[in-house]
Amino acid sequence: MSTKGTHIPDWLTVPFAGITPAPSQEKGQDLFPTGNWRSIRPVYRDKLPPCNNACGTNEKIQGYLDLVKRGKYLDAYALIKEDMPFPSVTGRVCYHPCEQACNRGQYDEAISIRAVERFLGDLGQALARDVVKPGKPNGKKVAVVGSGPAGHSAAYQLARLGYKVTILEKSPKAGGLNRGGIPDWVLPQRVLDREIERLVELGVTIKTNVEVGKDVTWDGLKKNYDACVLAVGLTEPNSVRAEGENKDGVLYGLPFLRDIGMGTSKVKLGARVAVIGGGNTAIDCAREALRQGAVEVTMITVESNPEEMPCVPEDLHDMLEEGVELLHGRAMTAVLGNGRVEALQLYRARFSGAINASPITVNRGAPAERFAVDNVIIAVGQHASLTWLPKEFKNERGTINVDRFGRLGDTNFFAAGDIVQWGSGQPLMVVNAVGDGKRVAFNLDKVLRGEPLEPRKVPVDVIMDLNRMNMTYFPHFPRVRQAMLPPVSRRKTQGEVIQPFTEQQAVEEASRCFSCGTCNACDNCYLVCPEPCIVRSARSNGLYKILVNYCKGCRVCIEECPTGCLEGVPELDFDTGVVRMDTAFAISPGLHGRQAQELLNLGSRPAKEI
Amino acid sequence: MSYTELTVWTRGIIMDKEGRDIVNSISASARLEGKFAQAMENYVDNPDRTNAPTRKYCRLSDNVLENELTYENEKPNIVVLVEGTMVKGWDYMRGMPPGGTLVINTHYTPEYMIRFVPGPERLAQLVCVDAAKLADHKWLYYRLGQLGLDRLSTEGAAERSKAIAPDIAAPLIAAVVKSTGIVKRETIEPMIANKKAFQMALDELHIMPLNPVAA
Repeated sequence: MSTKGTHIPDWLTVPFAGITPAPSQEKGQDLFPTGNWRSIRPVYRDKLPPCNNACGTNEKIQGYLDLVKRGKYLDAYALIKEDMPFPSVTGRVCYHPCEQACNRGQYDEAISIRAVERFLGDLGQALARDVVKPGKPNGKKVAVVGSGPAGHSAAYQLARLGYKVTILEKSPKAGGLNRGGIPDWVLPQRVLDREIERLVELGVTIKTNVEVGKDVTWDGLKKNYDACVLAVGLTEPNSVRAEGENKDGVLYGLPFLRDIGMGTSKVKLGARVAVIGGGNTAIDCAREALRQGAVEVTMITVESNPEEMPCVPEDLHDMLEEGVELLHGRAMTAVLGNGRVEALQLYRARFSGAINASPITVNRGAPAERFAVDNVIIAVGQHASLTWLPKEFKNERGTINVDRFGRLGDTNFFAAGDIVQWGSGQPLMVVNAVGDGKRVAFNLDKVLRGEPLEPRKVPVDVIMDLNRMNMTYFPHFPRVRQAMLPPVSRRKTQGEVIQPFTEQQAVEEASRCFSCGTCNACDNCYLVCPEPCIVRSARSNGLYKILVNYCKGCRVCIEECPTGCLEGVPELDFDTGVVRMDTAFAISPGLHGRQAQELLNLGSRPAKEI
Repeated sequence: MSYTELTVWTRGIIMDKEGRDIVNSISASARLEGKFAQAMENYVDNPDRTNAPTRKYCRLSDNVLENELTYENEKPNIVVLVEGTMVKGWDYMRGMPPGGTLVINTHYTPEYMIRFVPGPERLAQLVCVDAAKLADHKWLYYRLGQLGLDRLSTEGAAERSKAIAPDIAAPLIAAVVKSTGIVKRETIEPMIANKKAFQMALDELHIMPLNPVAA
């Protein structure tokens, strides 16, 4: 470039004839602030990764995977604890909607988020002191009815907000569905016990053997507490309305698991066991039946094939590995036997999915089948028992009638968990109950502080999808598998079936995360910028800065951003970043004009100087 | 209007021809109308660099041009910005006498754009025209594709036809002609290749009257 005709600043004075020294980077950027060549400005804007959005309690999944990747396990554990009181439990039992939503699932295989969560949860369990502290006491008392996932979560969040929380639990041990609905070989009791200890450490009082409606009344709750969260869950098993269901040897799914979990089970199973139902509880019952001494376990479902069963495919796969048989397209119409179950009467049936009539169509024209068994476990769902609840708060589904904030009318009573979500189209799972408990706790806090309630808003356009990311930077890499006990040996033990990740595995798996839509400080923009106009002040998240005066808007960083965090925003949308230049190569104001002025003054200068 | 200067600010290579078409067609039609006119390129700004700001000049006069050999317009009465973002970047208002006109190619309104204009008190009117949309909203992408074939020369970098104002120059010329009356519409319209965009622009201009100058 020739500098002829352009004003040359003092610091660029020619040291010897004809040679202009190259300016330093900084000086060059001052001399030619090319920011005004730009029509698009690159902007870092973090978007919502799909895993965070899909999670029932909106854990910051990308955030903790990123921290695990960097070896900051304690930070990761603290991050997870913001939304989830017991990562060690959900790390074992969650049906991981996050992994279904994971963008990596469309690319090769989803990240094993649950396994990393379990790794962090176990790390937290080993800590002598938890990272979470109770809030500053505000002198208000809240009762939480039920110590299952929703109650635990609500109590945890309320304790962190400074409330004095009392949990009322009707069973002899706290834990609710976590203890009574989940077998030991999925969630060992010691893990849950430790999490409940953590809750007590936060200052939560747990009163066991206290049943609402019997030991405390609605009015009593109203009188003794400032507010109350009802997280009573669905406790009563559904029947299939078959003849002879009251015979000996007929068991129901949830009580069967609950009694084993609470240690009060007196059941002795025969050699042949049938399980009625095709859901997740039915699968747990079938697998538990093997461990309780059954030899042949058959699962009888009305669905005509395994794909239609309302269960998690992995659990189904594990169950089949353990040797449970499947019998599809049958409905049990009667339990046969003389006082004790000897056989089942089955008819061909199909699941029609009708909403107003019975969803199951039984083909009575076909001959009945006789299926010889010693025990039958019926696991076809649960319903609520709410005899103590005032009538105006019950709805037609037999659950609690709440507004969209989980509040019962204008009272200070809130409800959370399965008791609210059942029949709402929301799948019933631990993490959804935890999320519900969390949201209700925050809503309750707002009501007691007299603030208006606002629904949670997620702008859909900022949930990152795969098409907006640059896949060039992500090599295909298989998922790290969790080790499992071999099927033959696990059939007879209560030992955990799925083994935890080692530290190395956890880091390896977390490193597969795309960090969808979020800056993970990969330095790519810093490296690809053809001009040195991205500054990196520290190697950690979100600490890049774009020199707006100098960036030409070439879009290379936007195109090359692996996670899609960088966006191009039209320059005219910003009021800032105005750099006035006289020409392309002279800075404002009026360097060009100054030259003209010098020329005008030329006549008055002595000839020698010129 | 005995003597008028028009300066077009445009971006190197990708919009170079648009700028040139504006000054060439206006000076050609002024000559047809019997005026003295001159149009010229700018070689100070290194116009062979993509996106770099470059200027094109045009002068019209009822008398013989005295400053024919000056390579720059010192007191532009009319300034055209072929790309909207340029409004933030340069002091294109430098030397403008009161009663000037600023024409911007943008989809924003004059009310929004006025905040970026340095020294708006010198303007008699601010004109915004969404030329990119009126001509062909995908014009930039087409041209970028052609640029891949030849980006070495400024002259005819992406020109595959000799037509005058086949794309965004047409609405901008319409904006200049309608808002200032610098040349007659009947003289210039036959030269324009994209007549549809030219006519649409005459109807879809946003003219913001500012400080009228007492005659």
